[in-house]
Amino acid sequence: MFRFLPEQASTFAADVDWIHNWITDISVFFTVAIFGAAILFAIIWRRREGKDHATPQILGDHKLEAIWTIVPTLICVFVAVKGLVSYQDMRTPPANTLDISVTAEQFNWSFEYPNGKKTTNDITVPVGHPVKFIMRSKDVIHSFFIPAMRVKKDVLPSMFTTLWFEPIKTGSYQGFCTEYCGAGHSAMLFKVNVVSDAEYDRWLTDDSTEFMKSKMNAEDLGRALYEQKTCNTCHSIDGSMRIGPSFAKLWNKKEKLVDGTEVLVDENYIESSIVNPNAQVVAGYAPIMPSFEGQLSVDEIKALIAFIKGLEKTEVAPVAAVQAVAVAPVDRSKLKPEERGKILSQEKLCISCHSIDGSKVIGPSFKGIYGRKGKLVGGADYEVTDEYIKESILNPMAKVVDGYAPAMPPYAGQLSDDDINDIIAYLKTVK
Amino acid sequence: MTHKAETMDPQGPPHVHHMDATTAYGAAKLGMWLFLATEILLFGGLFCAFALFRWTYLEEFHQASKHLNVWMGATNTVVLLISSYFAALAVDAAQHGNNKKIVTYLSITMLCAVGFLVIKYFEYSSKYHHGLSPLNVEFNSPEFNAAYKCFFGLYYCMTALHGLHVIFGMAILGWVISKARKNRFSERYYTPVEVGALYWHLVDLIWIYLFPLLYLVG
Amino acid sequence: MSTAASTAPEVKKNYLNDHTGIWSWIYTLDHKRIGIMYLVSLFTFFFIAGLIALTMRYELMHAGASGLLTPKQYNVAFTLHGAMMVFLFIVPGIPATLGNFLLPLMIGAKDVAFPRMNLLSYYIYIVGAIMALVALLNPIDTGWTFYTPYSIQTGQGVVLMTAAAFVLGFSSILTGLNFIVTIHKLRAPGMHWMRLPLFVWATYATAGIQVLATPVVGINLLLLIMERTMGIGIFDPKLGGDPVLFQHLFWFYSHPVVYIMILPAFGIIGEIIPVFSRKPIFGYKAVVIASFSLALLGFFVWAHHMFVSGISDFSAATFSIITFGVAIPTAVKVFNWVSTMYRGSIRLDTPMLYAISFIFIFMVAGTTGIYLATLGVDVFYHDTYFVVAHFHYTMQGGAVIGLIAGLHFWFPKMSGKMYNEHIAKIGFVLVFIGFNLTFIPQFVLGMHGMPRRYFDYPPEFESLHFVSTIGAFMNGLGYAMAIFNLALTGLFGKVKAPRNPYDSLSLEWQTDSPPIHDNFETTPIITEWTYGYGTPVRDGTHH
Repeated sequence: MFRFLPEQASTFAADVDWIHNWITDISVFFTVAIFGAAILFAIIWRRREGKDHATPQILGDHKLEAIWTIVPTLICVFVAVKGLVSYQDMRTPPANTLDISVTAEQFNWSFEYPNGKKTTNDITVPVGHPVKFIMRSKDVIHSFFIPAMRVKKDVLPSMFTTLWFEPIKTGSYQGFCTEYCGAGHSAMLFKVNVVSDAEYDRWLTDDSTEFMKSKMNAEDLGRALYEQKTCNTCHSIDGSMRIGPSFAKLWNKKEKLVDGTEVLVDENYIESSIVNPNAQVVAGYAPIMPSFEGQLSVDEIKALIAFIKGLEKTEVAPVAAVQAVAVAPVDRSKLKPEERGKILSQEKLCISCHSIDGSKVIGPSFKGIYGRKGKLVGGADYEVTDEYIKESILNPMAKVVDGYAPAMPPYAGQLSDDDINDIIAYLKTVK
Repeated sequence: MTHKAETMDPQGPPHVHHMDATTAYGAAKLGMWLFLATEILLFGGLFCAFALFRWTYLEEFHQASKHLNVWMGATNTVVLLISSYFAALAVDAAQHGNNKKIVTYLSITMLCAVGFLVIKYFEYSSKYHHGLSPLNVEFNSPEFNAAYKCFFGLYYCMTALHGLHVIFGMAILGWVISKARKNRFSERYYTPVEVGALYWHLVDLIWIYLFPLLYLVG
Repeated sequence: MSTAASTAPEVKKNYLNDHTGIWSWIYTLDHKRIGIMYLVSLFTFFFIAGLIALTMRYELMHAGASGLLTPKQYNVAFTLHGAMMVFLFIVPGIPATLGNFLLPLMIGAKDVAFPRMNLLSYYIYIVGAIMALVALLNPIDTGWTFYTPYSIQTGQGVVLMTAAAFVLGFSSILTGLNFIVTIHKLRAPGMHWMRLPLFVWATYATAGIQVLATPVVGINLLLLIMERTMGIGIFDPKLGGDPVLFQHLFWFYSHPVVYIMILPAFGIIGEIIPVFSRKPIFGYKAVVIASFSLALLGFFVWAHHMFVSGISDFSAATFSIITFGVAIPTAVKVFNWVSTMYRGSIRLDTPMLYAISFIFIFMVAGTTGIYLATLGVDVFYHDTYFVVAHFHYTMQGGAVIGLIAGLHFWFPKMSGKMYNEHIAKIGFVLVFIGFNLTFIPQFVLGMHGMPRRYFDYPPEFESLHFVSTIGAFMNGLGYAMAIFNLALTGLFGKVKAPRNPYDSLSLEWQTDSPPIHDNFETTPIITEWTYGYGTPVRDGTHH
């Protein structure tokens, strides 16, 4: 009766469920018995014809009081002990656990495996093997709950807490954050995938990502990454010139570099352009591509290569683009500082990453930027003052606005102090 | 609507329409004892918090405690003990119907209370000069040692809350003095004196616990 | 033929009409009038908080966002619903309303020990309520439990709301203090301890908790305010503090507070059942002892709200065992109530219907508590909908239904009028069915593992949420019906109530309905036990 508990996916579940169902049986029995008695008495001994009948002045019965004090006590003792034993199991992990480190923050879960593998909102564990989680929060109290495993523990910012279980069958199980933590509390879910030993071993050493799981073919995956990683802002695929070389007909092209040498666009060149882009820059382009080192796995790089290869063959529809702006020559000494600054922002391609209409491209929009306050990655506050702008131009990695990637290249050596002042003057006008 | 019935006895218990005099006296005392119990639980939470953090940060608490002036604290303890002594004398005087002595003794108690607050003021301002108060910028900067901040945070909470109770006690005793100056009390009625003194003893008692905890044991 | 000019019949002076005008209410020292004022204020907040609940249930009716509330607004809603219901309705609850009205009447006194302090308690409550309303301008989203560190970081309204709760605590403390002194000092001649009605015993046990537990939450909230304003680093882990300390200090009060809520309700049931069964309460002494055991044990179980929050395994085990202790006195009471009905002469008027339904509701409430006391099972159920359903069964099904039952029972005494039984019974049916329909699905949701305080949920939970929402609206309708029936009858009703429509032996029924200002014409002298119903049995003992 009323057995709606989730499937039993861990070694704890059978015990917990047994106690649970035992309590249910006893509770239902007593509730029905007692309430039933009350209803019965109300019917049998109801007042008739609007008149009370004689009632005996029974004051009590010590024997009954004793019975119905002792019997519930015994039941409670039994249940308490059972519960304690089950809890004790939950708090005593075996020696050979697979240890996974858990970090909770508003509003996601990050996991790290012993071999350094990191996942987000997703765990994969081998069936039949005990796993222990060592957990800490970065901000407020969260709680780690997997109903199918019958486990739960709060995740605190002030100390480490641990939790362990041994999964007994393969499958995919839902995990929840179950200590209220703010606006995203009900979105802070995670998945627990229990797989066979072999599958786990394969998974552990495979450094591909979510995308790979979706089993796209390499070319489609590459196309998805081309958009998701915003390569499309700077590199067109229809031959049109943007900030960086177009990918159209790029494969196996012989490119001339800024230092005069020539290079063949092969797998290695594409990979090195992704992880160390300013080492071999194509002639006619600025050395401003940000590095994607650590952000793309080898499989993802392979997918991008496949995508670029594929562009030789098919005519593809252009994807949303930011047009590079051609700048007409003009005598700048006659211009006001903010006008010079505007030209610089186009010339130096700031606007390829920073919009002026408020939309989020790669970097924070310039619209209303002067005087803006907010939080940086890491939680400190920032305010856009003259000094802040100067620092962001010369050493952009020092302060990165929260929510943006550390992808802006430094312009130290490329802009004079006067140039920077002009840019600052221009930014003040962008509202 | 309010019952301002004349009492036959201007120094006797006031007329209360729902209780006789003996009951009213007993009720007042019971009520005050219950109130004192709530005060003890109020400070109890703070003592618990202090105990917990002292256990966690024993060394820092020792060091931080050294910043407190033991002599000022000890003087304040003596001052409060004297004040309580005179409050007890005032109750004794009241039981003998001596309003003048009530005024005298409770005035000394008040004077001691003022003295306590003056010494407290000196303590707090010295903390301020050393940059150890919440009003100082240094106290609120991230470089200030977290455990020290915890000690001082609790120190200020506990002593300020106690100081507030000293002021409440002074208000109560001040009211009693004003009544005694009008010869209100007698052997037949001195409930406010007794109940006010009881409150004052609690204020003293709390300090007796605070002083060793904060200044000596640290 | 009539001769002398007939004068209009004189309206008997009672507490309602002996002094007229708004100021006579604002400055009243009459415990009965203060009880009525509390009643009006409390139910105002009950309906506001209830409407907020209906908004939440509407949002939860279907999976996905309904468009009515954003996630942040939903979080504000459940915070306000909880805070208003707990601090502005249920904690003052029965003691402030029926307790104030009935206590002196039941013991034969003219008023409480400190009438001016009683009025002060009411105004402190009003000040706290106003502060809470002002805090709504900066709505908080911490949950009514204000857990740190979230409550240190979020929004601006936390300080004002916690200050409001601090102020409200004083109202509770002073009321409890007043009641204890009243019971000790103002019993009429012959009203020995063992002749006291069970409602008085319940009020006494409750008052003890009010006096001893409330200061602790007071200091906890004060420390939270200090933490937010001065950053003393006591709860904030970034400053070396301990967020779990907040939980300990919070629950040290908040567990006993649930006994403040429920003990008076138990007292009311203990009054209704004997009267409507024409039989003495079965096991009077046992029920009294059970009340005090519950009050006492209630102080030692607080960390059962914290089993998975990082406390030591030894602490968890200790608190679990003691928590089982509180199940026993409650069970004893229920058995005694049902035994009272045995061979009685049962009248099924509205108060008795509520009382009998209370037996069912509290069996569910109590037995679902067993799951939560059991460590291994609580690990699963903590912070799920199972807990939400459990505490609504105890607080709403227990305390609120107890209050409604009591209001129906003593309505003739308080207003001098009789309400319409048919409407009252319909209200009862809607409340009972609506309430169970709302919360039984929530137990099942908890069994499925649905966490609490969730704005949105996986789609497989939707059908249960849908049913729960239907029940909630029915429940709300039922309460509206029941309460407006009483309120409108009180204001405009015509059917006069006799002195003692239910033939109760209790002292409050031996005086006028409504009572005069001083409650009794002359101080009563008590020679009988309150529960001397029925024909003496050979082996019965007299009190």
